[in-house]
Amino acid sequence: MGDNFQNKTMAPVMMDYEFKIKTQNERSKVEDLFDFEGCKVGRGTYGHVYKGRRKDGSDTKDYALKQIEGTGLSMSACREIALLRELKHPNVINLIRVFLSHTDRKVWLLFDYAEHDLWHIIKFHRAAKANKKSVMVPKGMVKSLLYQILDGIHYLHSNWVLHRDLKPANILVMGEGPERGRVKIADMGFARLFNAPLKPLADLDPVVVTFWYRAPELLLGARHYTKAIDIWAIGCIFAELLTSEPIFHCRQEDIKTSNPYHHDQLDRIFNVMGFPLEKDWEDIRKMPEHATLVKDFKRSNYQNCSLSKYMDRHKIKPDSKAFSLLQRLLLMDPNRRITSEQAMQDPYFSEDPLPTQDVFAGCPIPYPKREFLTDDDQDDKSDSKARQNQQQQPNDRRQNEQTMRLMTQQNQVQANSHDHAANNAKRMRMSGPNQGNNNQGGGQQEFHQQQQMMYGQQQSANQQQQNFQQRF
Amino acid sequence: MAGNFWQSSHHQQWMLDKQDLIRDRQHDLSKLTDEEYQKIFNFFASIIQVLGEQLKLRQQVIATATVYFKRFYARNSLKCIDPLLLAPTCVFLASKVEEFGVISNSRLITTCQTVIKNKFSYAYGQQEFPYRTNHILECEFYLLENLDCCLIVYQPYRPLLLFVQDIGQDDQLSTYAWRVVNDSLRTDVSLLYPPYQIAIGALHIACVMLGKENLKPWFAELNVDMDKIQEIVRAIINLYEMWKNYDEKKEIQALLGKMPKPSPAPQR
Ligand SMILES: Nc1ncnc2c1ncn2[C@@H]1O[C@H](COP(=O)(O)OP(=O)(O)OP(=O)(O)O)[C@@H](O)[C@H]1O
Ligand SMILES: [Mg+2]
Repeated sequence: MGDNFQNKTMAPVMMDYEFKIKTQNERSKVEDLFDFEGCKVGRGTYGHVYKGRRKDGSDTKDYALKQIEGTGLSMSACREIALLRELKHPNVINLIRVFLSHTDRKVWLLFDYAEHDLWHIIKFHRAAKANKKSVMVPKGMVKSLLYQILDGIHYLHSNWVLHRDLKPANILVMGEGPERGRVKIADMGFARLFNAPLKPLADLDPVVVTFWYRAPELLLGARHYTKAIDIWAIGCIFAELLTSEPIFHCRQEDIKTSNPYHHDQLDRIFNVMGFPLEKDWEDIRKMPEHATLVKDFKRSNYQNCSLSKYMDRHKIKPDSKAFSLLQRLLLMDPNRRITSEQAMQDPYFSEDPLPTQDVFAGCPIPYPKREFLTDDDQDDKSDSKARQNQQQQPNDRRQNEQTMRLMTQQNQVQANSHDHAANNAKRMRMSGPNQGNNNQGGGQQEFHQQQQMMYGQQQSANQQQQNFQQRF
Repeated sequence: MAGNFWQSSHHQQWMLDKQDLIRDRQHDLSKLTDEEYQKIFNFFASIIQVLGEQLKLRQQVIATATVYFKRFYARNSLKCIDPLLLAPTCVFLASKVEEFGVISNSRLITTCQTVIKNKFSYAYGQQEFPYRTNHILECEFYLLENLDCCLIVYQPYRPLLLFVQDIGQDDQLSTYAWRVVNDSLRTDVSLLYPPYQIAIGALHIACVMLGKENLKPWFAELNVDMDKIQEIVRAIINLYEMWKNYDEKKEIQALLGKMPKPSPAPQR
């Protein structure tokens, strides 16, 4: 008699008791290893991110702990884990470990902690612009940022991984420490293998990329994600770094539909870029929403629009190398858009100042540290106060010569009027385990920073040389 | 993740050593012979295959599920988790990783029930598929832990297609070799050899089956360790030999009866 299941109604023992106990004992719990209570620093659609430290003090580094939204292994959690487990590149966020909490069925991902991200950095510059203040950053910072973003994306693309959700909030930058000023591309939850699409990808998650960074072909109903779509988003981020304004900023109220076609967003793109000529984008006629496009838009409304005029208004000269690269990244026709590899070969990167591995090139980092979030704080005032306390304005003259204003003050747009919707979580400062390490204010820190600056400049010269050697 | 097998977790963590594999199976091999052990795996690989087909998964996804299954039992005894539960759990996890789209919990369970009832009654008789969603979800966490979160599995299919292209498109050859690759999932080769070598081994067998002498120079020019290819070929041929005198429908009930099973918590 088979002792498989003796009884039709009673489930057999699914798991061996000894095995279960043994695995339970070997399993470590995230809350046993890390202190992170009250230290939430990020909230996204797919999770909550905490800043944590090891409890046993075996190192004093900061870590980021991402608790994935919901319970169990969603498909995006699976993909994030599967991909990050394989990916290893200095400009791609490093997944250190996964914790599975069996009792509440929560999934936790442990990453290196990145103190900054481009969303906060750009927001800081925009606020400074509104207050007619300048922010001192190294001349080559935007170039270094872009170079490292391209490097990371080139790695992903050559491994047949698409990011698909590139936007400033997902580009992290490391703070003080051994990887100071290094870009880390994050939030691969939507990254997919794309070498053999199984289903038209648009079917799986109808609305994915934030519309401002969405390539025109997606807005016209393209069925498949491509490398070119990531490149468009990088072009948008580059423009935003140069001007501190989201280049294709568009009202967000309407962005709820699962229909890829989005009239206002296309209108915004044409207002900046001009309406595409047939000869510039031959296949536009093959786009699923081409008929709608023809019906809704009149070329003559965009007669006077061009990227060069837009950028010129933002003080980026059409004959600059930066502009010429931007134009190649933001080509409307996805087939003509350059690849990450081509972009990295662009003359912009061999022109002085050369990109540095530390995007801050050893200079003091003017941006505040991440603040802790609360769920119930409804009052945004605490936000701006905390920020004011943390702003450090370097005002040394010599420093001025070494640095350049990222922001031009002439172009005052109503700063802060268009914060990215996904990231306006309420913030306030709270004490946490890392409190002692936060801004202490006072002269000591400034002194410390001065030293760092001197050292930093030497270092950056070395680094540039290194860069040079590496690339030629 | 095409293109960097050599840096992958598959290559770095899951190319197992034959001796280790044999050692880790000691517990099971004290209760089962080598052949019985292989027959049991063969059976559960069939369950995974049929489940995958019913769920309309691509062969790539089915193959990944099968490799998860094999990896789990490469490190654990069959008694740790009932393979009848682990098999659908592997399918569920693989379908998420390979982005097939989410299979709903209820569809998975219903499919298990119908498949066990309609296709495997020779093994389970009138017994119904005994597990529910909560079992699968709990099992999934254990599976992920035991896989050490290594979810991307490289399969021989893609290198196979590239080799066939290189040879000069031959539909008959590629169909045969593809099937041999499917069969190879019933052996240990996916735990022991890189997928491109398995693809070459499968091509080799297909050539022999089709009597394609003219491809000898092509094989000779390949820069691979032919001893490894021979080992793969032997493992697959052994499987075919075993199948010749094996009637699963008659023997499987007894084998499942002999299989080491999970022990419940001690009663107090
Ligand atoms: N490694 C890290 N170090 C520090 N902060 C981080 C880290 N990873 C994420 N964050 C912060 O948490 C936020 C949310 O993280 P992430 O983008 O990974 O989650 P998400 O839910 O997928 O977001 P999204 O809504 O953009 O899809 C980020 O925008 C960032 O501010
Ligand atoms: Mg994000």
